[in-house]
Amino acid sequence: MEALTRNLNSTILRVGSVLAGLVFWHFLATTVINDTTFLVSPIVVVATGYEMLFVNGELYPHLFASSWIFFYGFLLAIVAGVPLGFLMALSQIVRDYVNPWMTTLYTTPRIAFAPVLLLWFGVGGGAKVSIVFLGCVFPILINSYYGMRVVNREYVELARSFRLNSRALFFKILLPASVPFVLAGVRLAIGRGLTGVAIAEWFGATEGLGYLIFFAGQTLNIPTLFVGVAVFAALGIFGFEVVRRVEAYATPWKTDARGS
Amino acid sequence: MAGPVLELRNLNKEIPRPGGDPFIIFKNINLTVRDGEFVSIVGPSGCGKTTLLRVINGLMPHSGGQILIDGKSAEEVNQELLMGFVFQGASLLPWRTSLKNVLLGVEGRGQNAKDTEQRARKHLELVGLSGFENYYPHQLSGGMQQRVNLARALAVNPRILLMDEPFAALDAQTRNFMQLELLRIWRETRKTVIFVTHMIAEAILLSDRVVVFTHRPGTVRSEFQVPLPRPRTMDIKSDPRFLDLENVVWKQIEEEVNAAGGFAKL
Repeated sequence: MEALTRNLNSTILRVGSVLAGLVFWHFLATTVINDTTFLVSPIVVVATGYEMLFVNGELYPHLFASSWIFFYGFLLAIVAGVPLGFLMALSQIVRDYVNPWMTTLYTTPRIAFAPVLLLWFGVGGGAKVSIVFLGCVFPILINSYYGMRVVNREYVELARSFRLNSRALFFKILLPASVPFVLAGVRLAIGRGLTGVAIAEWFGATEGLGYLIFFAGQTLNIPTLFVGVAVFAALGIFGFEVVRRVEAYATPWKTDARGS
Repeated sequence: MAGPVLELRNLNKEIPRPGGDPFIIFKNINLTVRDGEFVSIVGPSGCGKTTLLRVINGLMPHSGGQILIDGKSAEEVNQELLMGFVFQGASLLPWRTSLKNVLLGVEGRGQNAKDTEQRARKHLELVGLSGFENYYPHQLSGGMQQRVNLARALAVNPRILLMDEPFAALDAQTRNFMQLELLRIWRETRKTVIFVTHMIAEAILLSDRVVVFTHRPGTVRSEFQVPLPRPRTMDIKSDPRFLDLENVVWKQIEEEVNAAGGFAKL
């Protein structure tokens, strides 16, 4: 009962916070700034979004283009990042080989790679996917590595005490113990991947949400610009929610304590 | 009379220190444990009793001497699962249910899955946790977690059960109940047990024999047969023989602590 009340209070606060923000935005746009080439009310944004989604359908090609790029880049990052991270955790040699590259590439702003990737892969999907990949792969790689490195020593002793072989040690102890870290990395990768999409589409794309925002900005089409931003935000929230559900399913021992 | 299950002969453990004399944890330990015997080891903090258990279990190498298990050297049988280890913290895997935790030591060893599961269920029942098979560790109390810990060690049908202060982290009341439970479980299984504790009363209540360690570097100072009949209950703690023994053991530990420079130095 107490928990229920707390949840309810928490929900009220969250919804209230969002509503207050929207109201503030509305008044800022209509009374303080009052210049539609600068800022428009959220009501106008919603109306424009409605039109682009349900009336003229202008949004869909952009949405699909961006989604595919994100999906491929993100998937590749998981497929490459998780195993490499695990290998780094398990092998000093792999760690020594990968570490300098990881540090260099991770700390270099990705936007600096964009022109050269476009040069190499052309303006087709390859360059964009690789920009997204570069954004996603490091949080996944680093978290997978770290997650497997910090597995509780007690669990490893337990495995030795029960004479588990190295295969069983990996699959029964190291892998499940790393799952929460990997998923945390995947969660972080969503935001960085979406940033990657925006960056990729600013450079020489002809469709996509990033292109939509860029083009709307150039032509002072503020409502469309905000629709683009809102769709990015919605994709991010959607991605977070998907990962949260995967977490709840894959790490049931954590869901009780975590809340949402 | 069967031969000893475990024999320690002049067992030493030291840890090398760079640029100094090695750090001697225990030395010249001689101990013989019979089949089905319950032996407790007590001693001042830091005397190496936990390390000794870990060395016996093969989690750490020793630095000299011999460990014989059923007459064979421990190195020879190191890959075999002959010992069940009950850890001080329950060290249950949080992503596994009670049942799956108990299965950890027995699954995937060539027996069919149904038999091993049956075996795990039986041991959960033995420790009084029927009905909790599908609970995750975080849903269990500290005492229940230790029961799972015990079931997991017993399920592998170990030749020797090694217990490292398994009840130390429990509150006093739960600890008392767990001691009684352990007495019952031991009566039903008749396992050979080596039980490390810093609580003298616990050692006497549970054991056939109490071994007292010196301060570090630890070695066997004395051994006492516990002159109390079984089955035992908590009432036995007021038996004069119990109190006498508790007193004698306490005096010895006090001497060891003083010899080490006093309690504050430990």
